[in-house]
Amino acid sequence: MRHARIIFDGRELDIDIAADDTITTSEGEVLDVALDSDAITWLPPVKTPGTIFALGINYADHASELAFEPPKEPLIFIKHANCLTGHKQVSYRPDNIDYQHYECELVAVIGKTGKNIKREDALEYVAGYTVCNDFAIRDYLENYYRPNLRVKSRDSLLPMGPWIVDTADIPNANALRLTTTVNGKVTQDGSTKDMIFDVPFVIEYLSKIMTLNPGDMICTGTPHGIVDCQPGDTIVCTIEDICSLETRMVSEQEYYGDKY
Amino acid sequence: MTTNTLVNSKLVCVALNDKAQLAALASTFNEAPYKKPPTQPVLYYKPRNTWNIDGAEIEWAKDFDGNDVPAMAVGASLGVVIGKETCRVSVDEALDHVGGYTIVGDFSLPEESYYRPDIKGKCLDGSAPVGPEIVSAEKIAKPDALSVCININGEQKSVFELANMQLSVAELISIISRIMTLQPGEIIAVGFAGERVAVAKGDKVEASIEGVGTLTNTLGGA
Repeated sequence: MRHARIIFDGRELDIDIAADDTITTSEGEVLDVALDSDAITWLPPVKTPGTIFALGINYADHASELAFEPPKEPLIFIKHANCLTGHKQVSYRPDNIDYQHYECELVAVIGKTGKNIKREDALEYVAGYTVCNDFAIRDYLENYYRPNLRVKSRDSLLPMGPWIVDTADIPNANALRLTTTVNGKVTQDGSTKDMIFDVPFVIEYLSKIMTLNPGDMICTGTPHGIVDCQPGDTIVCTIEDICSLETRMVSEQEYYGDKY
Repeated sequence: MTTNTLVNSKLVCVALNDKAQLAALASTFNEAPYKKPPTQPVLYYKPRNTWNIDGAEIEWAKDFDGNDVPAMAVGASLGVVIGKETCRVSVDEALDHVGGYTIVGDFSLPEESYYRPDIKGKCLDGSAPVGPEIVSAEKIAKPDALSVCININGEQKSVFELANMQLSVAELISIISRIMTLQPGEIIAVGFAGERVAVAKGDKVEASIEGVGTLTNTLGGA
């Protein structure tokens, strides 16, 4: 089963999506609308977002792309819910920068509270998987708590969704093709099998430090194939059997409007 | 998680905002891995599992083998509580967006490196007590004129005058509001004394700011 949050017909709804794409609300109402309809506004799929953990340089080929040695323990940073936006929404490119790139990532959504979780039990704590685009602005990198919040924790720079797929429906999250297109052209083509630290490892690692809670998210890093994105570009991040996440880039002025 | 926390949604902390600490580390910060001193405020989150309250016992941290860690430290900061949505505000308007002030304690492993996000050191459960209350912004005319004291078991260990911050309260609000839109109830811990204070199991830690109050917590594990 897939689960999402949408605005439809002026109502904010929690929905389940069946294998035949039938949409049913949490009230049991079947919606007469197709999944790809523009009448649906997609919200970030986690209703009450908790702590959002993201991994840096977690694919060996991406590490070499960035001229880094693969890490010996996970490099983890935190993004806040202010970054979240949904499928077919916009992300902005700040003025006067040279390099902003997408990062297509598998996301594990925590469904159960736990501390000191063992790797072999870890998937019991995962409610499901989704896709995110963990944008970064390389111009703003500094060597303090790198990647710093100015690079990563900006408004709109974490599109996620459109839906969460139940953990039970994904027998092996470490064998999924991962692709990104920019304006229809494939720019990233990898597999979650090349992840250095997989979801169970990261859950064990984090839960030795701290309690994980429902609504926490773990964004697992991106493989080789990042390119600069400009206002007007349409970026689609896809992970096989999970979902495809579409984002349109806008300028800082278009994004903030009157607040610009 | 603590349900009666004073924090709504977000607790963002500013590291390396003590001029004396920046001066002391100037040569270190010109070497690898830093290569040059920070040009922007150095920010980190204390995520929701860390939020705690006045009077709470702070858990003594364990290492990855499940043994008690050898050392912990505490810092304390003025907590600036956002009063209304704050998006891309100027330095001049920044203080108009403050709803109140409180005190933020940051219990952590000793700060050894600022190069990578310090999840291991900073994200310990219950390690960010906030309180004892939120004092209305009208009662604090000049937040940058306050000082933060830390007493351990009744003995003063640290005094940090906010006049010695590299970036002022208003400057920080303005800069951070251009990274992320801040919402009412979100809190910024604007600056800690560079020298964190070592704590031991069972210690009583009092962080106080005149006019804001005293935040009292005790270390567990004794």
